[in-house]
Amino acid sequence: MMFRQKRQILALASRDYFHEWQISVCFVLALAAVLGPMMVLFGLKFGIVGSMIEELVEDPVKREIRPVGSGHYDRVWMDKLRKRDDVAFIVPRIRSIASSLSVQSPSSSRILHLEVIPSAPGDPLLDASLPMPDGLDKVVLSASAARKLMVSAGDEMEGSLVRTWQGRKERMVLPLKVVAIAPATGFKRDGLFASVMLVEALEDFRDGHAVPALGWEGAADVGQRSYTGFRLYARSIYDVSALEDSFIRSGIEVRTQAADIETVRRMDNTLSAIYWAIALIGLGGFSLSLGASLWANVDRKRKELSVLRLVGFRTGEIVLFPLVQSLYTALFGWILACGIYLVAAWSINAMLAPQLEKAQKICRLLPEHYLIALGITLGAALLAAILAGTRAARVEPSEGLREL
Amino acid sequence: MQEAPAETIYQLKNVARVRESNGYAFSLRVPSLRIQRGEKIALIGESGCGKSTLLDMLAFILRPTDMENFSFHADGSTSVDIGEAWKKRRRNRLAALRKAHLGYVMQTGGLLPYLSVFDNINLSRRMLGMEDDGTVQTLARELGLSRHLHKLPSALSTGERQRVAIGRALAHRPAIVIADEPTASVDPFAAEKIMSLFINMVEEMNITVIVASHAWRHIKQLGLRRLAHHTRKSPNGRMTETVVSG
Repeated sequence: MMFRQKRQILALASRDYFHEWQISVCFVLALAAVLGPMMVLFGLKFGIVGSMIEELVEDPVKREIRPVGSGHYDRVWMDKLRKRDDVAFIVPRIRSIASSLSVQSPSSSRILHLEVIPSAPGDPLLDASLPMPDGLDKVVLSASAARKLMVSAGDEMEGSLVRTWQGRKERMVLPLKVVAIAPATGFKRDGLFASVMLVEALEDFRDGHAVPALGWEGAADVGQRSYTGFRLYARSIYDVSALEDSFIRSGIEVRTQAADIETVRRMDNTLSAIYWAIALIGLGGFSLSLGASLWANVDRKRKELSVLRLVGFRTGEIVLFPLVQSLYTALFGWILACGIYLVAAWSINAMLAPQLEKAQKICRLLPEHYLIALGITLGAALLAAILAGTRAARVEPSEGLREL
Repeated sequence: MQEAPAETIYQLKNVARVRESNGYAFSLRVPSLRIQRGEKIALIGESGCGKSTLLDMLAFILRPTDMENFSFHADGSTSVDIGEAWKKRRRNRLAALRKAHLGYVMQTGGLLPYLSVFDNINLSRRMLGMEDDGTVQTLARELGLSRHLHKLPSALSTGERQRVAIGRALAHRPAIVIADEPTASVDPFAAEKIMSLFINMVEEMNITVIVASHAWRHIKQLGLRRLAHHTRKSPNGRMTETVVSG
């Protein structure tokens, strides 16, 4: 019996809402007129700052910390750095003069002089889902190098290196296997990512030492190995500045993108503050507009609500009447606001498209932002309707009956 | 609470509604009132004498300010102390009584503008979960509304709307129908016709009826019992008191 009457009041509220469609449309427009621009505003803020932050976060180059000049770093020191929470990746670098290799592939006649980059699992410049450089033969090529050599993952190629040792010129051939091609976005030059082991072998060979694993002869005993530099990436762009400070304190001069990052972060803060100021004012106006229209609606419907009480609807069911109607207003208002937003966002993005990179959007929202907007709207509507509804319930049934 | 005879439907003793505003006081006093099942009661008087106040109290939509005894006996098994229900703020209990046992015809229809004539007449039946057994169509035929069943009230004349309101009040076969000036907004000729139709229908359905009207002349011919009431004003006009008994 309870449910029958609840269902009936829901049906009556819906009939009334659509019967009075002109007034319902006004309520919906009033709501969308406030919510739509707020969504556009948030979309702009989110799009502008979001794409800048994304650029920073997604581009590993921004997280890189490079030592200036060359120094002497040992393995123990690097291991200590690797254990820091704010360090995502670190590998040692060798002298740049030793870190190059001539490479030839069977499918191209060209011999390419490649920069050898020490790498290891977790290298931010490489695609984590593809195989990593390993051992003395498995390497990853940069996209431009692969294109010039006309090789792809799985191909074999040949590296060759030369040294002058004990007055003789020696040339060694090194069989290599390309296990993957690095993404073009991370590293744009011609390069070859190799394991630290291979990089050390190249350096040992050039320095005249023996490399037993490859059967290359030379002077024994490298002794205590020291590196001239390192490739280091902070865990996130927000760690770069602190890491930079820590290097400077220990007397190592480094180069970072900290200044860029700081600019974007400051802009984010400023824009956020501006946005929230406007959003709070907007939310206030929005709640007032919604609350006022619902309140007025209950007043307008006093007679009809009195009739419903007269024929015997319970208090709880009477409260449902304005509630259902305000939920309709909230829902349709939200849909219309989303429409307004989509049109505005599309126009803004289309207008600014020439100045933007492909796929970059100056105004955009994530699906969850739409849902949050819906949630806030429904919440505000519910609150206003409950206030209006309890007011409706308090009206004595005889009060409104004789009003014309 | 004094036990009422089985055929009594309303039993009131010292029930009053006193209202004061802007230095003016209105009071309606009912020292004693008993209405029997099947009775046809008329409440005649000028507007402002408290007719509506009494009807609203009898319809449980207006709380009396004083009540010694106010009981309602819808049928053999339903006997309710209305005074107690008001004091305990059991509004939903009163709503349930209205829904099951009461029909109310208002002066200005009180139809829901968004429902068709059929749905308006069927409103209480639907609330009570009563099946669609042709009652609405039968009523509509008797009231001359058959061809309007699917129209909205706004498409009807005032007289037609009042007939729809009568249909709504009768459709769920209540024990009692209360009508507050049901024909006041209709022209005199139509008013007589509607009133006769209304009284004949409640008579046929054996429903107790209480009608308020300012025109006794016509009502008299329909065989209604007139409630005696006496209105007096204080010399300065600031106090109006009406006493009803019967």
